[in-house]
Amino acid sequence: MTSRIVPATQPGHPAIPAEVERSQLLEIYYYLRLTRTLEERLTALYRQTKVIGGLFRSLGQEGESVASAYALERGRHRDLLSPLIRNLGSMLVMGATPLQILRQYMAKVEGPTRGRELNIHFNDLELGYVGQISHLGDMIPVMAGITLTFKLRREPRVGLVYIGDGGTSTGTFHEGLNFAAVQRCPLVVIGEYNHWAYSTPPAKQFAVTHLAEKAQGYGIPTVTVDGNDVLAVYAAAKHAVERARRGKGVHFIEVKTYRRKGHAEHDDQHYVPEDELERWAKENDPIDRYAKQLIENEWVEAAELTAMDQRIRDEVDRATDACVDEPLPAPETALGGVYADPADTEKLWFRLL
Amino acid sequence: MARIDVLMPQMGESIAEGTLSKWLKKLGDEVKRDEPLFEISTDKVDAEIPAPAAGKLVEIKVQEGQTVPVQTLVAVLETDKNAAVSAPTAPKAEPAPKPATPKPEPPKATASAPAPVAPVVTTARPPDRPTAQVGKGGDGGVETAEERLRRKSTPLVRKIAAEHQVDISTIPGTGFAGRVTKNDILGFIERAPVGVTPTPGTRQPAPGAVVHPTVEAWPGDRVEPMSKIRKITADHMIQSRRTSAHVTSFFEVDYSRVAELRAKHKASYAERGANLTYLAFIAKVCAEQLRAHAVVNAAVSGDTIIYRRDINIGIAVALEWGLIVPVIKHADELSLMGLTRAINDLGERARTKKLSPDEIQRGTFTITNPGVFGSYAGAPIINQPQVAILGVGTIEKRPKVITLPDRTDTIAVRVMGMISMSYDHRVVDGADADRFLADVKKTLQEFPEGAV
Amino acid sequence: MAEITYLEAIRQGLWEEMERDERVFILGEDVGAYGGAFKVTDGFLKRFGESRVIDTPISEAAIVGAAAGAAHMGLRPVAEMQFIDFISCAYDMLTNYVATARYRAGLATPIVVRGPCGGFVRGGPFHSQNPEAAFFHTPGLKIVAPATARDAKGLIKAAIRDDDPVLYLEHKWLYRRIKESLPEGEEILTPIGRARVAREGRDLSIVTYGAMVWKSLEAAEQLDKDGVSVEVLDLRTLLPLDDAAIVATVKKTNKLLIVHEDTRTGGLAGEIAARINEQAFEWLDGPIMRVTAHDVPLPYAPTLEDFVLPQTEDVVKAARWLAAY
Repeated sequence: MTSRIVPATQPGHPAIPAEVERSQLLEIYYYLRLTRTLEERLTALYRQTKVIGGLFRSLGQEGESVASAYALERGRHRDLLSPLIRNLGSMLVMGATPLQILRQYMAKVEGPTRGRELNIHFNDLELGYVGQISHLGDMIPVMAGITLTFKLRREPRVGLVYIGDGGTSTGTFHEGLNFAAVQRCPLVVIGEYNHWAYSTPPAKQFAVTHLAEKAQGYGIPTVTVDGNDVLAVYAAAKHAVERARRGKGVHFIEVKTYRRKGHAEHDDQHYVPEDELERWAKENDPIDRYAKQLIENEWVEAAELTAMDQRIRDEVDRATDACVDEPLPAPETALGGVYADPADTEKLWFRLL
Repeated sequence: MARIDVLMPQMGESIAEGTLSKWLKKLGDEVKRDEPLFEISTDKVDAEIPAPAAGKLVEIKVQEGQTVPVQTLVAVLETDKNAAVSAPTAPKAEPAPKPATPKPEPPKATASAPAPVAPVVTTARPPDRPTAQVGKGGDGGVETAEERLRRKSTPLVRKIAAEHQVDISTIPGTGFAGRVTKNDILGFIERAPVGVTPTPGTRQPAPGAVVHPTVEAWPGDRVEPMSKIRKITADHMIQSRRTSAHVTSFFEVDYSRVAELRAKHKASYAERGANLTYLAFIAKVCAEQLRAHAVVNAAVSGDTIIYRRDINIGIAVALEWGLIVPVIKHADELSLMGLTRAINDLGERARTKKLSPDEIQRGTFTITNPGVFGSYAGAPIINQPQVAILGVGTIEKRPKVITLPDRTDTIAVRVMGMISMSYDHRVVDGADADRFLADVKKTLQEFPEGAV
Repeated sequence: MAEITYLEAIRQGLWEEMERDERVFILGEDVGAYGGAFKVTDGFLKRFGESRVIDTPISEAAIVGAAAGAAHMGLRPVAEMQFIDFISCAYDMLTNYVATARYRAGLATPIVVRGPCGGFVRGGPFHSQNPEAAFFHTPGLKIVAPATARDAKGLIKAAIRDDDPVLYLEHKWLYRRIKESLPEGEEILTPIGRARVAREGRDLSIVTYGAMVWKSLEAAEQLDKDGVSVEVLDLRTLLPLDDAAIVATVKKTNKLLIVHEDTRTGGLAGEIAARINEQAFEWLDGPIMRVTAHDVPLPYAPTLEDFVLPQTEDVVKAARWLAAY
């Protein structure tokens, strides 16, 4: 087994980990807190019937989403990732804005898909994210193709894709992973071991102990890290990304974390053992752990974080106010864009009566 | 001040309703944005519902324990901000897209994002205006789709037309573009003198189209197209004249006894909601006598005579927009009261356009009553494919020579009126018609009180 | 007689069959401890145990393939697709393996694959699909789509007892909206392959299925006030189609409107129209018309979804047009 555990950064009076500057530590914190605050707002909007489809929280998983994406090169036409519904943090890191997320969730006309798709299923190929579909595993072969293109064009770009523990049971996951490994695509795969696929626990989902073992079967080097240790995830991702950029092929990072909310907002989590949610919330919240690490190491002042929390709340309030009353798309716009040519699908006869 | 609606949320795709389990705020309470207002319970999950904005709880529409459909208004908040009240995202409240306002634009999705779309222009038209030219007519001219449809109509109509040897183009159509519908052709066959149950070799050629000669309009004249009912009547009358050998007989009837009975029983009929008229007596007597004079209750079909089993009497009703003939089915089975009611009812529903197609079909004999307008007597045109129609002249007091029991003659004031009957001499001879009329007259003059 | 929902009717049907026949078992994602994403199998794990209520990995191809194997060996598996949209992941197993097994190899494959289909719930492109047309084209499969609670129960029981593979499409918009009193103590079995006249009428026929049965009945009610008498035929079974019932209603009213929630092109309406053309052309007093969804993926925004899907008002307008033809 080639996996190794990246040691958690040491408390005491350590230096800031290599290649991370103080401003970056704060930036990571910003994205973590923004993810959580934004999702809390979305929950409220869901219960206020402003968000009508499902609502999917990443509570407890913000750390690995933000830290893994943060290891990529960002900017226009740089690295590219494909998130899942619980990787809102990774999209924010790549440049998606709270306003876009809110509009998308509320199906607003100004939203990125103009009301066609739900939650965070949307793209910005320039900024570097391509949205998933609901069919799990499909994005693995798609990202294999995207990163194959980087390789064919000799561009120094890297792709990153997420897959949940449940998603690794799909056929497309296995076919895509094998394809990428054979083609030595510059692709980093984040396997999220979050303990629940809807209501299904790992023991009913797979017979291996670590997701990493599955990737090893395809000849892919792997690492398993504590997904709620932000800097550990960052370090592992940074290593894998640079390795991929050097042409060494696919790398698989398994992050052990915990989904603290239901599959979606309507799920009452009655299948979760008692106290488990509370224990994870109290002892192993990635944001709490990270904030504590920053303050105890005296890398930042507690007051800086408090001030940032307030700024983020204001930012989310402003974004909400900016779009909550926006209109939904006009009905007939549903007919555009199925094909490049013809541009519009025909309206059916009974609508002309 | 702005009012904000709080709705019952849809917590899951299949959820249709939710129960308000508990109010966490009271009427008049101030609430902060996202502060829990009430708790709900659905088939899937229980949840606290937060306030969409800071404000005061001013209306509670759903009480604890009440179950309401999703999207139902649960409460109203009043805020002091002037912001526009947000429209619910329910389908019924869909605002039109606003013109783009200059706002900080988020990075727009590129490449694979759906392109902005303009309102759609391409459409699949319903086939409501088949104006395309689709082929040549038999005369070598170009036939339009409408003409073709008018001539050919639908598979069903063509099939019926073939079975009954009917030329579809001669039938007035009520479908779109004047198309002949199933009901049109069935109604036509019902009325037409041809091929009801045709046998090979005995079929009549289909009747030719009715062409009404054109007439020059003079300056100042008003030219109007005929209404559908007018056109049908016009065609029908010409066709009837063409088809039947019309002869008319006239009889004078002494209605004095009927008048007496009517005066005596009118009030009791009225009490039961029926207006007892002379016409009811006449219909009653005709229904009885038609049973004994089968040839008057008949139709001509090719070289055959159809003696109708049923006695279905049509009563012509003049309306502002034309003439219509509702039919009293099985008139011979009705009492005077039943006939009175049927006449009242059909007349009323003819005037209010509430007759069903079925109620103007399958007549076997018709009565028309121009006497109500003062006409002394008339020679009506037969309602095809029947063979006789009875006209009722005005009924009034007239001097009449009568013979007293002592065999002296004297002039008396009697209630008198004319009846006339046009009949189709192809099958009804003068003797048949006159015997029928004589019996009708006799029965009216001796109307049995027990039948009232 | 208590009123039960369409969802509860499915649940009762499954329950009764599992009580009746120990060869029947359930497999699918989250069907055990969670009781199914929509709670159709709520309580089954407790009653029947883990050997008959199997929580599976997220592997639709394996779920259907394993069901087929078990069916070959004499069991009667009922496989749940969490949303029917995911049945496409098992398309290979169903069309290549399951549908052909009896014909090419003489292998009985009495499986039921069931799952929630349909829109009107703001589910977006991957939680609202109607996949019947993709499988309608595959000889060897049967497809049923109940509209009422009675048929939901009667068809799940009939599907389980059927000796061939049956796709059972349950409409999630009907799950908790339809409530019906079903007789207790009487076994309800709806024959596969037989349509039902949901409403008698004279002037035109609507042939439909699933949630659109209810929209069509609403439309018929409205049209009745205008004096247009509409007959509604609920197909119930989509494959094989009940030709006799469809032809009979067309011969009665002479006008046919086919209504389905699936998109137009390649939808079932086309096949039904062709059959009427072949078998009852001479009885038509108007063109056969279709009311369907527009040919686009189903969007999420309520305004868009409502536009794309056929609504009651569309059925009213189309029927009125056809009646006046």
